[in-house]
Amino acid sequence: MAAKIESSSTAEYFAKNLQQVGFSSPTKAVLTTLKEAVDNSLDACEFAGILPELEIKVNRVGKGSQKNTELISIVVEDNGPGIDPDDIAKVFGEYLASSKFGKGQCSRGQQGIGISAATTWAQLTSASGVTVITKTKNMRKAVKAIVDVDIKKNKGILRTKDSIDWDKPHGVRVEFKMDGRIQLNGEGGLLTYVEGTTLVNPHLNLRYKLLDEDWVDSKRVTEEIPEIPAPVNPHPHTMKLGEFITHAHLYGGISLSKWLKTSFSRVSDQSIKDFLQHGLKKNMLNTSVNKLTDEDFKAIYKAIQDTELMAPSTKSVLTVGEEALSKSIQKLGQVDFFSVLTRKPKICDAKPVVVDVAIARFLNRGSEEDQVQLLRFANRVPLQFDKAACAITKAIESVNWRSYGLNQPKDSVPYGPYVFAVSVVSPFIKFKNASKETIDASEELVEELRLALMQAGQKLSRHIRAEVRAEDLERKIRHIEQFGPILVEGLVRMTGANEKRKKAAEEGLKKLLGRDASAAEKDVKEAHGKLEEMKAKQAAKGIGHGTEMTEAIAEESIETTESLKTEAKKEDKTEKKSKKEQPQKTAKKRK
Amino acid sequence: MSTISIKIGKGKDVAHLSKEVCEMMLRDLERAQRPVLEATKCALDNSFYNPKVGYLTPGNKKVKTELNVSSVQKMARAIFMLEILLRNIKVGAVNNKRELYYIAKGEVKHNPKLKSLDFADQDESDAIIDFICEMFEIYREELNCFANDRGGQTYSLQLEVTETMPDGKKAVIDLSKLGTSPFQPKNRPQALKLKAKKKIDFALIVESEATANTFVSNGFTRRNNCILIGAQGVPSNAVRGWCKLIQDQLRIPMFFFGDLDAYTLQNIFRTLKAGSAASLIRNSDFSAPDVKFLGVLPEDIKKYELHDYGVKETDVGEMRALKKAKDALDNDPFFKDKKNKHLSEILQWLLKNKRRCEQQSLFMVDPKDPTMPEKVILEKIKKGSYI
Repeated sequence: MAAKIESSSTAEYFAKNLQQVGFSSPTKAVLTTLKEAVDNSLDACEFAGILPELEIKVNRVGKGSQKNTELISIVVEDNGPGIDPDDIAKVFGEYLASSKFGKGQCSRGQQGIGISAATTWAQLTSASGVTVITKTKNMRKAVKAIVDVDIKKNKGILRTKDSIDWDKPHGVRVEFKMDGRIQLNGEGGLLTYVEGTTLVNPHLNLRYKLLDEDWVDSKRVTEEIPEIPAPVNPHPHTMKLGEFITHAHLYGGISLSKWLKTSFSRVSDQSIKDFLQHGLKKNMLNTSVNKLTDEDFKAIYKAIQDTELMAPSTKSVLTVGEEALSKSIQKLGQVDFFSVLTRKPKICDAKPVVVDVAIARFLNRGSEEDQVQLLRFANRVPLQFDKAACAITKAIESVNWRSYGLNQPKDSVPYGPYVFAVSVVSPFIKFKNASKETIDASEELVEELRLALMQAGQKLSRHIRAEVRAEDLERKIRHIEQFGPILVEGLVRMTGANEKRKKAAEEGLKKLLGRDASAAEKDVKEAHGKLEEMKAKQAAKGIGHGTEMTEAIAEESIETTESLKTEAKKEDKTEKKSKKEQPQKTAKKRK
Repeated sequence: MSTISIKIGKGKDVAHLSKEVCEMMLRDLERAQRPVLEATKCALDNSFYNPKVGYLTPGNKKVKTELNVSSVQKMARAIFMLEILLRNIKVGAVNNKRELYYIAKGEVKHNPKLKSLDFADQDESDAIIDFICEMFEIYREELNCFANDRGGQTYSLQLEVTETMPDGKKAVIDLSKLGTSPFQPKNRPQALKLKAKKKIDFALIVESEATANTFVSNGFTRRNNCILIGAQGVPSNAVRGWCKLIQDQLRIPMFFFGDLDAYTLQNIFRTLKAGSAASLIRNSDFSAPDVKFLGVLPEDIKKYELHDYGVKETDVGEMRALKKAKDALDNDPFFKDKKNKHLSEILQWLLKNKRRCEQQSLFMVDPKDPTMPEKVILEKIKKGSYI
């Protein structure tokens, strides 16, 4: 007899497979929970047009229920619009309950899985879900509730619900108590997450306390709330057949023609005519989508895929922006120099994408022996795990950074005291897994990222080149001082020449090498000029540089060569004169 | 600017010419002109094969070093090293490159003024010694800088060698009196004079030194009036100069016997016969163009039913040798010359078949007879089965 087939709820599935959504270890559980809570807060503030003020506190509060774990408290408080008390259970206790699902907007959260998974983890490990305090601007008192997930039914349950006084005009405070472990530094560290979040959210005021560290205030560098572009209808070329059919069922009994024109972007009357030419049957156009069979949908889908359509609009994407990035990157440490770049929106795999890149060299972060610190972002959320398979990493590895003056083993991430921050923003980011840790490395996206990185690398190389030239000049001057006298002394010893000849040779050598130093100095000036030109262009865009290190080096080098330069100029004049006087003699000698 | 190009013939006084170069450099500097030192370019793109002389000769390409801020270090180091070498010549001292590296370090230690000339590693001092040799077109042995006398262990019951010692005294070595010990040739073949006490029929150079020893132990030199030499892989300067000496002074047929593979043919045999691109200035004295390739030849595999085997794609060394063989066929003037057509045909055969056959495979022809390899070699010489 065949086994009895039973169906399980979505919550049951996720409760058994929490590792798929970022809860694969106690360390990751803490980070994922923090991330989900912060994402929700930031999204809520942005959609309500509020400049976000967030407070984060992560602390150890006891021993965990599982072996080698601790009981961790994670508190995130925001000044967002607050959640309607009736929605609390749904938001925190029900999977796939989202206000953003499939909307085609560049929001951090998309599916409504993350925060419910955090509640589940807390519930499974500490027997209590999430404690939520919420207040909207219309409420006099706040509501405090403990939410659990009813795993069998995929429903949120309010275990307690009380009215409390809260001095905030509006906002949400969530507290999770769960088994976990805390890692502060390194790629998967909480500090790395917090730094990354402030980097790509320049409008965020963040106050945080991690473990026993002091409270840290990270102030916003811009007062501008990012304008979230209006959602766009999906482009038919971005859908699979199944999605296409499901999409039809959302629209009820409207005609096929109307459905195609109103529920998709880039489908016009002309497009409908083109579909007809590519096999769409005319009589279907006025048929209600409810009456179409799967076979009909297959034929319609094929005709659409065979027809060339205008690329999706890029209006639906937002960027972090060069100006904001240039300011926020300086919060990470003492920046020596940096290069920021925002590409124009581009269509990759039929989806609009914007790439921002910031590369900065730090005076107090990293070293020449270490790989550069790579900060990856998808829709302004830091990605901290599974670096190797990510499109961003693959793009970095494919660039020849040596040509920009960085140390790089072949096909690998370069080395040096740099931070590479790369952000991908798109309403439809394709992740490799449900935990959204790795961006799928499609050929088109990797190429777009590569172009952005190369452009940023070119800007960076101006700084490095100016430094190299200045070092070269220094080396040349050092060579003159070190080897000139030794060479002459050696020649004098070998030939047995007298003191007079020695002096004459020393003078001659100094003049010759002074000319070389003069030429090298010209190179430094030229490189410096190009750098200044680039800085001026950036300044016009509002991108300022923290320190002017290269300028200092160049000026110092120029100063030290001043005496040699004068000497060489004098000599040049004398030489020109003597050349005029003795042209025949020189010609004869060369023969 | 003046170009200092030195042409030194054999027997010219290195000390005198060094002084001349320094004098010209000093004169240029007094006039605030840049001295330019010129050296022969020792590379394949400046190598020409002259079938009349039979070895690789240098073309007209020169490497010029003009004095500027970048080269001032190299020039100062060259003069510094030249002084050390000339002092060695003056007192009759000899050194190898490693020792010269340490002598230079010692000079720097005792004279802090020279600190900036200090060599960070031996590669740096070696490059300066090579530069001096290429500039003067002389062998480093002429600067009393000798390499390790690797390879060339020689056995013969007929050969007598007279060596002129640095003090002018002569030492006579009768190889038949050495028992089972071989004679080890020195890197300075010019100091040796050869004499055949009895007619010598041929000289056989065996790639593997161990196999050469086996041949001697099994009586090869007792049964044949010959000179037997173990090359020990890629022939050193000593082996190359020694073979050239045997060729010029004894005028006897000379044969090379080694593995049938691309490395042996292009790295070992070609260097022995025609010299190398890296030693263009010394090939005239360090190559023996009359040496013939006795085998293993491709036809020997079939004739003597030798065991051969395919080159593994995973064998990095072998695959590199095959790649180099292809380059050699396209670019090496030795293999491109029609005089060496049959040798390039073997390279082509190796490239096409990707197989190799070792010299020791002759021991399988008749496993019960330890002298079988000797018999095969003699048969091949007798029948003219060589290239």
